[in-house]
Amino acid sequence: MKTGNKYTQLLTVFATVAIILSFSRQTIAVDDGARAYWKGRDGTYGLSFQYLRLDLQASGTKQFSPGQYIYANADTEASLMITNLAYHTTLLSRPSSLSLAIAGGDIDVDVNVRTPLQFIPKGIPAGTTFSQSSSGFADPSIQLDVNLFGTPPLKSGVDLLNYEPTWTLDVATMLAFPIGKYDDDKLVNMGLNRWFGRIALPFKYHFGPRTPGYMTSLEIIPSVWLFEDNDDFMGQELENDPMVQLEAHITHDFTPSLFGSIDVLYRGGFQSEIDDVEVGHDVDIGNVGFTFNYQVTDNLAIRTGYSTNLFGDHELDNSLFRVQFVYSWHKASENMKKLVSGH
Amino acid sequence: MNDTFREKINSGLGKAISGFSAGSFIASTAFISVCDAAPDAQAVKSVTPKENKNSTRTLITSSKNRPNFLLIVADDLGYSDLGCYGGEINTPVLDKLAQHGVRYTNFYVSPTSSVTRSMLLTGTDNHIAGLGNMGELNAPNQMGKPGYEGVLNKRVATVASLLRGNGYHTYMAGKWHLGLKPDQIPRARGFERDFSLLVGGGSHFDDQWNIEWQIPKAPYTEDGRPIEKLPRGFYSTKHYTDKTIQFIEEGRDDGKPFFAYMAFTAPHGPLHVPNKWLRRYKNRYDEGWDGIREQRLARMQELGIIDKGVNTADRLWFLPRSTSLTPALRVMLGRKMELYASMVEYMDDQIGRVFDYLKEIGEYNNTVIIFISDNGAEGNDLRGMVAGQVGSLGFLHAMNNFAENGHNTIGRKGTYAEYGPAWAQVSMAPFRLYKGLLADGGTRSPLIVSGPGVKSAGGLNKEAVLHVMDIVPTVLELAGVQHPSTYKGREIVPMQGKSWVKMLDGRTQSPRSSSDWLGWELFGNRAIRQGDWKISWHYEPFGSWDWQLFNLAEDLGEQNDLSDKFPKKRVVLIALWDEYVKTNGVIIGERSPFERAKKALPDSVPEFDNYPPVRGMEAIPYKKLVELMSGKTNKQGGNSDENRK
Repeated sequence: MKTGNKYTQLLTVFATVAIILSFSRQTIAVDDGARAYWKGRDGTYGLSFQYLRLDLQASGTKQFSPGQYIYANADTEASLMITNLAYHTTLLSRPSSLSLAIAGGDIDVDVNVRTPLQFIPKGIPAGTTFSQSSSGFADPSIQLDVNLFGTPPLKSGVDLLNYEPTWTLDVATMLAFPIGKYDDDKLVNMGLNRWFGRIALPFKYHFGPRTPGYMTSLEIIPSVWLFEDNDDFMGQELENDPMVQLEAHITHDFTPSLFGSIDVLYRGGFQSEIDDVEVGHDVDIGNVGFTFNYQVTDNLAIRTGYSTNLFGDHELDNSLFRVQFVYSWHKASENMKKLVSGH
Repeated sequence: MNDTFREKINSGLGKAISGFSAGSFIASTAFISVCDAAPDAQAVKSVTPKENKNSTRTLITSSKNRPNFLLIVADDLGYSDLGCYGGEINTPVLDKLAQHGVRYTNFYVSPTSSVTRSMLLTGTDNHIAGLGNMGELNAPNQMGKPGYEGVLNKRVATVASLLRGNGYHTYMAGKWHLGLKPDQIPRARGFERDFSLLVGGGSHFDDQWNIEWQIPKAPYTEDGRPIEKLPRGFYSTKHYTDKTIQFIEEGRDDGKPFFAYMAFTAPHGPLHVPNKWLRRYKNRYDEGWDGIREQRLARMQELGIIDKGVNTADRLWFLPRSTSLTPALRVMLGRKMELYASMVEYMDDQIGRVFDYLKEIGEYNNTVIIFISDNGAEGNDLRGMVAGQVGSLGFLHAMNNFAENGHNTIGRKGTYAEYGPAWAQVSMAPFRLYKGLLADGGTRSPLIVSGPGVKSAGGLNKEAVLHVMDIVPTVLELAGVQHPSTYKGREIVPMQGKSWVKMLDGRTQSPRSSSDWLGWELFGNRAIRQGDWKISWHYEPFGSWDWQLFNLAEDLGEQNDLSDKFPKKRVVLIALWDEYVKTNGVIIGERSPFERAKKALPDSVPEFDNYPPVRGMEAIPYKKLVELMSGKTNKQGGNSDENRK
């Protein structure tokens, strides 16, 4: 029946569009991503596979090491694969999403000039050039995002149909588990050997009707990262101040299947101390980039993006390229498609 | 009819027909030009009442305080949509108008727009006035025949022409739908000032697309000049209101009375609403059409619009019980009714602006206000008719102009939503069927009359059987103008309508006796009403391809065919039909838009409340079932909120 087809289409499109989440929280220099905090109907799942390619050249004395990937006077290359499973539900009568991220890959670092002694692994003379690499799983993380204002519970198709966002405010908390691969002799590791997490207040203002092809949004996500001390950083104790982060996106639908985003990411703070001695400087990095997201089918979306540092500390050049596949589904939508298609 | 006259009619018809082909439209719109029709006053000499006896000329009374007229026509508004007719839609302005004036329950129009308008402006039958059929849908055997020109022909003079020639300012803002060419447009047919949509409908916004793919861009005129581009931010209802106020304001220095025709295009589809009004009725109609219709019927009884115990129409046989639909689908379908309701309330609000203005300039109490709808609510799939055939030019037109119809986008520019037969039957409660058809659901309209000369403020007249043709004779009598037999040197037909003046001032209850009768024919469907009796003939499955007889005093819903019970009455009414055909030159079309309805719709079967005889068509949540089984409650049926969970 005609109406039924429309209904199916609507429901699945809504479910799909609303599910695109962030999958990159335990990896430095990667933002949550555009439309990461849009809400889906309760019971919607999203499964994402993301490939990241990070190139970073640090000069002068700058360093930045929450993931131990970036060091002063170093060139870093990382290839990561991140898998994320997200689930939308209602907690305390608020629309929420719970996600689990698992990442793995390899990192290569070339350190070539006057690196602070504290960062030099044993056996390597100061001032010399050396290379290190690591591969394996990074620290997995979980995130709980709960809407505070602006989004009603989306328990049913009716709720989803009636949902017409304007502005929304969430609180998102992430916690990473220190079980990734870590070698205490190495400067470079996939795991951090310490608990770390983040608290974010994602804010969104939605322009236009909530229909694919018409949506525009302004998203601002302030957050703070907190790190436990790493008590075995090549035999030393690594301590970091909190890192503040401000992420922003302006997203716009070009067609019902395609949206683009201009992305901005700023990070500051994160002064390091090794054995109670300050090392290096605060982080001050501003990246700008773009993202395109194409909805291939009702269930599958492909996203790609690029970003690089355009403001902040110019002694820290980086570039990030990523490709992401997101597959989302909801039992009701899938069953409806079965019925409508006659299978 | 003499031969010369017949030639003129035929010639006009040919032009009219060609006006509806895409190619010729380009030419015809190009022809629309400044048409400063000769002031009608020059053509019609004013005379005294004495001189006028047996005269063919018009008459001006000597009264200095002749009333103004504000004729307000809604487009496809349903009978029971207004609050004062039992509707849940918020219409405080028209409700207040009803408190100051009188509502009538037996007011008839034609089942479609242009056909009604032809009678509304001339006071004679549409088959005489040139709209024997809608110009867009003339059947092959009707083309070229007198009365089937598809535009207002020269056998008639409009009320605007007659009033303009007798000391009135005549203004129009809104939908014309009675001709496109320079000698057919409002300026040429008596309106001194106008802002007009010449065709039957289109976007209500400034994107200006027309419903008909043959004429992709909707043609508008202002004071007879074609408008290249609508002003930015245009919204039909608001703009027509602005123009009406502007015209009255700019013309009032000379102290002449005015006749203003506000022909709103709301709530005709596409359902378009200004953004701020999009969610004014959010979730108001989620419960579905059955519940809303029941509530309306109850309110109509409370208001006295319908009598208790009267038979009302069943839910249309091809529609599901709304409670059998999923909540999500009900929300989606309900949104269309939300938009419709918003359009109606917005129109009411704008009418209030005109009333406020008239009060401000001190003319409100000297203005006779008449409010009607042009036909029954729209239950046909007009959008589907235009765009339904993939790959057709209509489809291309839809692709270019109104492809978007998402749940959250309908109502906005670039969309085309209609609310369909399910909601149309609600709008037309308590009647059967809707626009285009000759059950009372297609032809009954609300009517409110207020102003000087109207007694019984707040009253409800259920006795009078009235027709849209009556409005011209009423207006002319109130204005002291007699309908002439010639106009600009040509013969014009007499009016068929009956003046309401004696009824309005309380001298009679109705301008018609029980032996008077009314007739209709459109698209091959036909009907006659005399007193409480009505016969109608419809294509299947809307009817039986035969005459059916109903007694409207007991059966407003036209549910019980009494042909077998009262065969003589049926014969009498069929004889009146024959007279109607003869009098008005009716030609039954050999083709009809409804000729294939039987194949498109299931057979009509009577509705029984207790069938299927199980538990109705509502889901019963298990919790409620347990209560039922344990005897805690005897209430059947489910709660929609619980179902949702």
